[in-house]
Amino acid sequence: MSSYIATGIFAGLIYSMVALGYTLVYGVLRLINFAHSEVLMSGAFAGYFFLHYFMTSNSESTTARIFLFLGALVASGVAGAVVATIVERFAYRPLRRRNAPKLTYLISAIGASYFLLNFAGKEFGRNPLTPPQVISGGLSWSVLGTQISLFDLVLLAVTLILFFFVNFLVNKSKIGRSIRAVAQDPETATLMGVNVNSTIAQTFAIGGFMGGIAGLFVGLSSVVDYNMGFTPALLAFTAAVLGGIGNIRGAMVGGVVLGVCMYVPIYWIGQPYYEPVIGFSILVLVLLVRPTGLFGESLGRSA
Amino acid sequence: MSSSKTPRTQFNKEDARLAITCVAGGLLLAMMTGPAGSAAAPLDSAKGALFSSHVWGFLVFGIVIAAYSVYRRKVRNGEWVSRRETPRRSLKVMWSDWLGSMPLAGWIALMVVAAIIAVLVADYTGPYAPNKLSFSQFGSQFANTRTYGYIVFLLWIVNSVRLRRSASARHGVLPSFAKTPAFRIGASAVGGFLFALCADPWLPERFSFAYFTTSGTSTHAFLAHLPTWLWTGVGALIGLRAVLAERKKSTQNNRLRPRQFNVTANTRFALYGVGLFAAFEAPKYLSPFWQEAIFQQIGIFCFLAIGLNIVVGFAGLLDLGYVAFYALGAYVNAYFSGALPIRPPFTLNPFYSIPIAIVVCMLAGVLLGLPTLRLRGDYLAIVTLGFGEIIYVLANNLQNLTGGANGSGLISSFSMNVPGIHFALNGQALSQDLDFYYLLLAFMIPILLLFTSLNNSKVGRSWAAIREDEVAAASLGINGLKYKVMAFAIGASTSGVAGVLSSVKAGILFPSNFALQVSITVLVLVIFGGMGSITGVLIGSAVIGWLLQYLLFHSFIDYQDADKYMYIGAMLILAMIFRPQGLWPAKRREREFHDAEAGLGTADAMGAAVEGPLHD
Repeated sequence: MSSYIATGIFAGLIYSMVALGYTLVYGVLRLINFAHSEVLMSGAFAGYFFLHYFMTSNSESTTARIFLFLGALVASGVAGAVVATIVERFAYRPLRRRNAPKLTYLISAIGASYFLLNFAGKEFGRNPLTPPQVISGGLSWSVLGTQISLFDLVLLAVTLILFFFVNFLVNKSKIGRSIRAVAQDPETATLMGVNVNSTIAQTFAIGGFMGGIAGLFVGLSSVVDYNMGFTPALLAFTAAVLGGIGNIRGAMVGGVVLGVCMYVPIYWIGQPYYEPVIGFSILVLVLLVRPTGLFGESLGRSA
Repeated sequence: MSSSKTPRTQFNKEDARLAITCVAGGLLLAMMTGPAGSAAAPLDSAKGALFSSHVWGFLVFGIVIAAYSVYRRKVRNGEWVSRRETPRRSLKVMWSDWLGSMPLAGWIALMVVAAIIAVLVADYTGPYAPNKLSFSQFGSQFANTRTYGYIVFLLWIVNSVRLRRSASARHGVLPSFAKTPAFRIGASAVGGFLFALCADPWLPERFSFAYFTTSGTSTHAFLAHLPTWLWTGVGALIGLRAVLAERKKSTQNNRLRPRQFNVTANTRFALYGVGLFAAFEAPKYLSPFWQEAIFQQIGIFCFLAIGLNIVVGFAGLLDLGYVAFYALGAYVNAYFSGALPIRPPFTLNPFYSIPIAIVVCMLAGVLLGLPTLRLRGDYLAIVTLGFGEIIYVLANNLQNLTGGANGSGLISSFSMNVPGIHFALNGQALSQDLDFYYLLLAFMIPILLLFTSLNNSKVGRSWAAIREDEVAAASLGINGLKYKVMAFAIGASTSGVAGVLSSVKAGILFPSNFALQVSITVLVLVIFGGMGSITGVLIGSAVIGWLLQYLLFHSFIDYQDADKYMYIGAMLILAMIFRPQGLWPAKRREREFHDAEAGLGTADAMGAAVEGPLHD
């Protein structure tokens, strides 16, 4: 049981990283970014190729591994940010300039997601790739009757650091102030000298950075595949709704709560592929009972 | 921006972007549709690709579209306005002045140009042949009858323009022979006949002169082809309409006006009749490959698109899990024919499982729609996306319920044994592909009539009201939630019926038939044709369905079947950027999009249905 809770928590950390991307974009555009699953996928591919090309047989030392891992982290984060910005540039901005109806944004985003998905399938092949294990799985510690591996600890550390970083970025920095201003009222923000377009692009980039890194962790814990992004992104969206979409801290907590809520039933069912089924049921339940989520909506505008 | 200050020739970044997109689009099309090339000059090498008339044809196509769209953009933005007249008008006047003052030699030159274009078009749209695309093969086009068809067709058009622009025609007097009704109808009929020469169904035999004259089997003789006579009939119809319009006009005033293509109710009725006739007759002349494809790959997708059109087009909601209901319908049918590991209490003919499938899908739609549609519309999109994935996961993993990834058992087929009608269909028999197609038509036509009248009824008007302004609709007493759920459930049950039909033809169900791809493909069919317009959706899904099948064997070496989803994704983005209303939009829907962009109304039902905590 406790091992299922632990699995839930660590899976939840990945969901909360992805959920942050949904929440940030939702905050500024009031839209669900359907292409976010492909941000995750591209991050995983970037990490895979980085490790594939740079991790050789003579890079077995701990120092080399640390640097390789940090390199892969940066590569996947940057890839995620770049893909997210490209999506914003080509699927959202032309519509925003025209003041298009909301339906068209959703359709164009799903088109972007589909294009990227199948483009990756065409370019990188449609068979799953196994990334080299940069974090050796041998080390593990026993905590409260459950085994916690080095991978889990790294995941926890990276997530916490990134979360504090993003929290600082949004709440304290100049970029964050403009993001909050755009979330509150884009027209007034423009009048106050905020460049709305570049702020939105920056928001996508921050969310994409997190999403890309989450993709690296998903890839390292299983395989890298062109359609790997779909299920984690759907669950991450559930996490974002659970925490209150548009709310950064909500996304973080929502991810972990969702992870635990999802893996505890699997303890009784015993079959892990029902994970998305449980997650989806939680989503419908949340929408039915408390659509504003645990913490309510925020990021500037109150709902 | 004051128009007089802007120089007319200014070509800014936006225009460049638009132009590049169009030209690149043309190139993309060329690459998508180009034949496989030959071993000597493979098309994936730069030399092979650049020196083929096919690629050049699509490049020219792209450039023309680019020039036109930049021009349109300039006019719409008001950047190209010279003093009083819009450039569109001044261009029109210039053009007609130029045409009117052109000497005979000019007309002859124009006809030569037209003939060259005709040969190019013939070459470029011509039959698939591995060595066709090099310029060295260009001359062989003259051995094809259809080349001459195009030449005569274009010359005919140029000559009609010449007659209309002549000095006498301007003063209301056409050359006498052009005024006799018999001549006009006859000429139009000949035009239709020529069009048939260019455009009737693809057959390798068709392109030789022998084909034109042989009196052998019906598939090998041009004159024995139904489409030939069909197109001739369409031509005659156009001529008849022109004569009638002329009569009517001459009684009103004597001045000859340039004719506008305005589809009247009568013509529309006639066109529907022709379409129905073609839908019944044309498949008989198709090759076996296409006879199979028109049911499973095109017909079923048309059916699905009509259903999704209710959700996306009429109600303005986004349903990304449409395939889930398709799967539900299929599995309901499989259950009642005893094909699943779990046994039903009694087995049913698929005819009887259709109502059950409708009820099941409608219930599922209501159950899914009620909690979600109270909230913002985009929640529906993601919940349906999740629902589609859940159904897929469940179908894949519930071994003892659905048979899992190994597929179900054999599903029994349609049979009817009532006094007067006795038949039993077999989905696996190749000879019965057409029977399934006609069965599909028998289901589709009543549904089309039903949906059309639904859209014209109170329900349809409520959908329009919710789309355009939800708050105003609510103030008029329209229950938004009720109509949204209704649209969602109707779409779901249509999808369920399609699932039953398709499952019978397929015989065995595999969960992989119900992946997310199907939902997105159907969405593209609806968007491409024009959301909200039943005719548009039908035409659009037929065209895209045909294209996807065509690409299977007429495309670049590098093209794999799964790549079509990449192009489909790109198409969704491009459609949303350049033409969100689709190619054949419903008038009202098109206006809504324009209004929404100008800040009037919403053009979708993405707001909250009731005043809840989430409403913003």
